[in-house]
Amino acid sequence: MTVARRFTFSRLLVWIFLAAIVIVSLFPFFWMLIGTTLNPNAVVAGVVIPGKEFPLNWNKAIKNYNLPVYFLNSLKIATLTVLLGVLVNSLAAFGFEKYRSNAREKVFSVFMLSLMMPQIALVIPLFKLMSSLRLLNTHAAIILPALMSPFIIFFMRQNFQMFPTEIMEAARIDGAREIYIFFRIVVPSMKASFVSAGIYMFLSQWNSYLWPLMTILSEEKKTLPIAISSMMRAYTIEYGAVMIIVGISIVPVLVLYLAMQKEFVSGLLGSVKG
Amino acid sequence: MIAPAIILYTSFNLYPILSSLNMVTRKWQGMRTTYIGLGNFARMLNDKIFWQSLGHNFLFMGIQIPIMIMLALVLAAILNQVRRGRGTLRTIFFLPCVTSLVAYSVLFRMLFQTNGLLNNLLMKLELIQSPIGWLNDPGWARATIMIALTWRWTGYNMVFFIVGMQNISNEIFEAAEVDGANKRQQFFRITMPLLRPVILFSLVTSISGTMQLLDEPNVLTWEGGPANATMTAALYIYRQAFVLNSDFGYAAALSYIVVIITAGFAFTQMKLLGRRD
Repeated sequence: MTVARRFTFSRLLVWIFLAAIVIVSLFPFFWMLIGTTLNPNAVVAGVVIPGKEFPLNWNKAIKNYNLPVYFLNSLKIATLTVLLGVLVNSLAAFGFEKYRSNAREKVFSVFMLSLMMPQIALVIPLFKLMSSLRLLNTHAAIILPALMSPFIIFFMRQNFQMFPTEIMEAARIDGAREIYIFFRIVVPSMKASFVSAGIYMFLSQWNSYLWPLMTILSEEKKTLPIAISSMMRAYTIEYGAVMIIVGISIVPVLVLYLAMQKEFVSGLLGSVKG
Repeated sequence: MIAPAIILYTSFNLYPILSSLNMVTRKWQGMRTTYIGLGNFARMLNDKIFWQSLGHNFLFMGIQIPIMIMLALVLAAILNQVRRGRGTLRTIFFLPCVTSLVAYSVLFRMLFQTNGLLNNLLMKLELIQSPIGWLNDPGWARATIMIALTWRWTGYNMVFFIVGMQNISNEIFEAAEVDGANKRQQFFRITMPLLRPVILFSLVTSISGTMQLLDEPNVLTWEGGPANATMTAALYIYRQAFVLNSDFGYAAALSYIVVIITAGFAFTQMKLLGRRD
């Protein structure tokens, strides 16, 4: 199909529209970068020319706001969630897909049903449970409930459908045990699926707010999102330093997204095709 | 292989949900609880703020979701036509939705201050005479939440629509072209109907997300303010349990309402999707 590419008024309008959306989409990020170099008053006033206060703001972010502590907490929690969570969920997904039985299908549909459960209905009784387990105000309280993810199980199961069962049978004939098949044959050949499941889990744990807000009380255990929201609660706010911290909370996510865009987006889409 | 997932699920998902059946029949006073039967549900009937909060959820749904989905459809349709720069544009439009809810809420809170950048810009362009109380006026505060939601989620929905459009065979459009259908007719008569399952999926995820809205009204418009104007059901429930009264029984009972509504929407979706086959 050949369409004549002429310059028309409507084409111009379309490009202006696209440009406007690009500006609106990117402006908050751009403004955040500028803000890291400004003094608090200039940030609020909406100055959009870079200033010279980045080193000062950086010092405040580190000394007044304990940025490294929050960053390391967030990193630790998200990393542990990814490592353990991908293992648990992919094993379960593999079990559901390759070792089918009626009982397993029933368990699977119960898991899928819980995808619809609103978070607010779960976290209140979960809080009581954590308090009776004496896990409140620990990072374990954030990690444990996030490990098993119905969505990741669903996503990995979709992916395992593509893994040929013949290979598994061949390996069995050669005397390989099931767990060996999983770790030595399935994992290496389906790296992309594991990576996108990992990114997805990292993003949702790194960005999670409500549950850490409920469970973490002491300053030195806070994650970035709850630390940021409590900074906004203070009487005087060092906006420039807050901009740096917001930036630091966004950067790992942006890097992950830009590096792994293909896997991540196709992973998201895998959930629609189902 | 499934055992670890089942153990985790039972401990941190199933058990809490079952235990909430007991929670909702009790009244919390500090550490002690007393059995009050359906008392929490009776109390909720007279809780005007809760129903208003729930009303805000529906208000956000009713206004913001249609705008966002239309915008996402238009963007997807345009990007589907664009040849050069499609990937870059898609990346840019998708970018907002990877930022954390708190991070973007904080950025928007600063941008939308009464003496902040947005008002300054609008005044310089002489679009407004005096600053708008984006965060202080009830109506504008609700608008601010909806603007923020649209900023973050439009690109996300757009990506689904793009893929949906690419799955539509080109031959259909060529045939329509031969029959003399113009671009607009093609969009409304071919693209939209064939995208129905994808649009439905977007609708349902958006509705269920808006039902659970909490971070934005808590951080961006500050604790559901001004004067509860942006209070949502989930935020109200959270505040009942953790900020105001520590009444977990009542909060759990309120959360059942959210569960029922979400389940209702999901059920409707299954009916609608089922009808297609």
